[in-house]
Amino acid sequence: MTPSLQRTLWISRVTFLEAVRQRFFAFLMVLGAAMVLSSVSFRVFDFGHGELKFIADFGFGGMFLFGSVLSVVMTAQLFFSEIDNKTALTLLAKPLSRSEFLIGKFFGAWAVLGVFVVVLSGLLGGVMWAREQELVAMAEQAGKVPVTFSASGMFQFALLQWLRLGVVITIVLTVSALARTFLFTVVVGSLAVVAGQLQWIAQDAVLKPTGSALYGAFLWLSTRLLPNLQQFNIGDALVLGATGVPGEAVVEVALSGLAYMVAYLFIGTLVFRRREI
Amino acid sequence: MSSAISVRRLTKDFQIGIRGLKLRAVDNLSLEIPRGQVYGLLGPNGCGKSTTLKVVLGLVTATAGEISILGHPSATAEARSRTGFLPEAPYFHKFLSGRELVTYCARLSGVLPSDLTTAVEDALGLAAMTDAADRPIGTYSKGMLQRIGFAQAIVHDPELVILDEPTAGVDPVGSAAIGRMIHAMRDKGKTVVLCSHLLGQVEQVCDRVAIMDRGKLVLEGRVEDVLARRDRHVMTIEAMTPAAREAAEAALAAHGAQVTSVTHPRRSLEDLFRELVTGSRDA
Amino acid sequence: MRRYYASGLALLLVVGAGAFSEISWRSVRPSIPEIGRKELEPTLGQGVLLGILGGLRTVVADLTWIRSYVLWERKDRPGCEALMRTACALDPHSRYFWENTGYAIGFDMAHWEIRRRGGYAKVPAETQQRLFQQYARRGIDVLDEGIGRSKAPAPLLLCAAQLAETKLKDHALSVRYYQQAAESHDAPWFAARICAVIMWEDGRKAEAYRWFRKYWTERMLPKDDGYPDDLRQLRGMETGLRLKPEERIPRPSWER
Repeated sequence: MTPSLQRTLWISRVTFLEAVRQRFFAFLMVLGAAMVLSSVSFRVFDFGHGELKFIADFGFGGMFLFGSVLSVVMTAQLFFSEIDNKTALTLLAKPLSRSEFLIGKFFGAWAVLGVFVVVLSGLLGGVMWAREQELVAMAEQAGKVPVTFSASGMFQFALLQWLRLGVVITIVLTVSALARTFLFTVVVGSLAVVAGQLQWIAQDAVLKPTGSALYGAFLWLSTRLLPNLQQFNIGDALVLGATGVPGEAVVEVALSGLAYMVAYLFIGTLVFRRREI
Repeated sequence: MSSAISVRRLTKDFQIGIRGLKLRAVDNLSLEIPRGQVYGLLGPNGCGKSTTLKVVLGLVTATAGEISILGHPSATAEARSRTGFLPEAPYFHKFLSGRELVTYCARLSGVLPSDLTTAVEDALGLAAMTDAADRPIGTYSKGMLQRIGFAQAIVHDPELVILDEPTAGVDPVGSAAIGRMIHAMRDKGKTVVLCSHLLGQVEQVCDRVAIMDRGKLVLEGRVEDVLARRDRHVMTIEAMTPAAREAAEAALAAHGAQVTSVTHPRRSLEDLFRELVTGSRDA
Repeated sequence: MRRYYASGLALLLVVGAGAFSEISWRSVRPSIPEIGRKELEPTLGQGVLLGILGGLRTVVADLTWIRSYVLWERKDRPGCEALMRTACALDPHSRYFWENTGYAIGFDMAHWEIRRRGGYAKVPAETQQRLFQQYARRGIDVLDEGIGRSKAPAPLLLCAAQLAETKLKDHALSVRYYQQAAESHDAPWFAARICAVIMWEDGRKAEAYRWFRKYWTERMLPKDDGYPDDLRQLRGMETGLRLKPEERIPRPSWER
């Protein structure tokens, strides 16, 4: 292992330890888990979607909502705590490059979100599996075709969610490298998440012919600068197989997520190199 | 041999606000810090000494000027691997133990895994932190935080140690302990740069001092040279009677000398405090 | 100079990632039918955004549906229709939403409109008829979209067939829907018989008999008791068509 990689991993390790000890992480994790578990109780409010879909949507919603909040707020907090407490001064005075510092922060935060996604998707998978067993038995008695859920689809969905949150972390780190305050970073990071979730509108428009060259150029630029976060929300199709997703499409989305991460992280390190601490 | 730190015509401007108004923190500063000495950088708050150190360490970019550390351009990995730094009022992750922190910093500083244990134990020993090394940093007192900060700064056996206000907020006993650590570093042939506005302490531990004011260097030299008044002398006399005093004054007058003041010598309050609480340690 | 190279590389990476996401978006777009629908445009920013932004679509769809019931009680046609369509758009896999939206628009809303214009006594019969047809058409359009998305479409097909028969008075269209309903995997037992009866009454007697006979022989006869009521209906048709004994369905052992 190269010394540079070792230093990066040490930063990641300490970042991870710091993050998992935060009450904020535990709080959101508990909230997300409670949301997943409570979906079984709330299914009485369902209007015939199929119970598994209702439970899945509750879980996906929890993962999306709390995952997004966690990746924006926690990443910004982890970055600014180092700057405000002057820990960054101590670390960056050592033979540690700013790229190693920022990439280490990224992997530490991403690992924390990995724990979050694994725990919530594991819980959701467990709840759905248990309910599926009951529904299959009931459907067999009634002579109906039961709705089933796909465990491999759940795994793929969890992986895509993790990648989506990774993209969000890189965006927040890039903003942090530029920003002077925690609040500014959280606000801009949150807006970037919303814009990323709605980027598909421009993406869809780009795929259709447009009369105005200026409008076309604007749309093209929007789709190139903003990440498409909506493409990761294919939980329904993956887990419940309502419409099905080709394997190649999942791989393409995953690669797209990785491409965004590399791009934003590169920009983040460029910006951070010029920052005065 | 090159200087430990060489600063030539350093200027640092900070831009303020959107309109980019400039605030000059360091103004055309030139300094040569020789190796193997304890060097004090003094000045009031806001005089530019911390900014100078940050520029030297590559944490802030210079507007103009050249800086080298141990013959290497500053802000390079080579220069920083031979430098240790303790920032003012350091904060470390509270959940780590002292030993974990020093190990973490050792790895970041490039200490090889085979040398890690020895390096960490030596640094903890020099900082007198071995006994408390396994406690979480969150339980440390202010003095212990400074000492563990000192340990992390020296764990990779740097040739140059930069300490920014190492005794700020530390009681006199803790200050004395840090002073001993500084002397120990000098005895090992290391260069120590001390940035402080506690003049008494600087006077005690430093070989050379530089005084800055409003971003400029106003005085630089050996401590003895800058403090000594060659036209004045102090004699300490025991059991002096009025008659003895008159005789002494007459004898001095015969040689053209004149006694201008006679007072009783005083101990400093710090000396008294240290004498009274000697042996107590903040643990 | 190095700085410019780095900035250029950063730009290249972002544009490259964007171009790559366009490829992945094309592949994955059909798997997200919930988004990008016209129904959502008027309600963007009214809480529905949350549903589009990620999970929780089902929950938001449910809340939207509950709200639409309030407007249904008040006979608020534009509001009720918008919210019902929104619920369908948020959760297009839910047959329940499509079916009830189709019923509400196709059967109820024309009545609300007539009342709004002064009541049955005041609105001319031709206008009433036009309104019934207009809303039935809209209801069928909603149902058609739901049929395309539902894995068990028979109830939606039956609803469309009823609208076509009773409101549009378009028996040919009604028959097409009934036939599709009868041939779907979740077909109810009565769909084929109703279809045959409508065709018969519409004058397509031979066609009705042929289709119903084939359907009964292939799908109903092998089941349970062979559906004697269907056979009775077929015997009536054979009599009506004056078929010779050898042209009729061979008598099963259980037929009385």
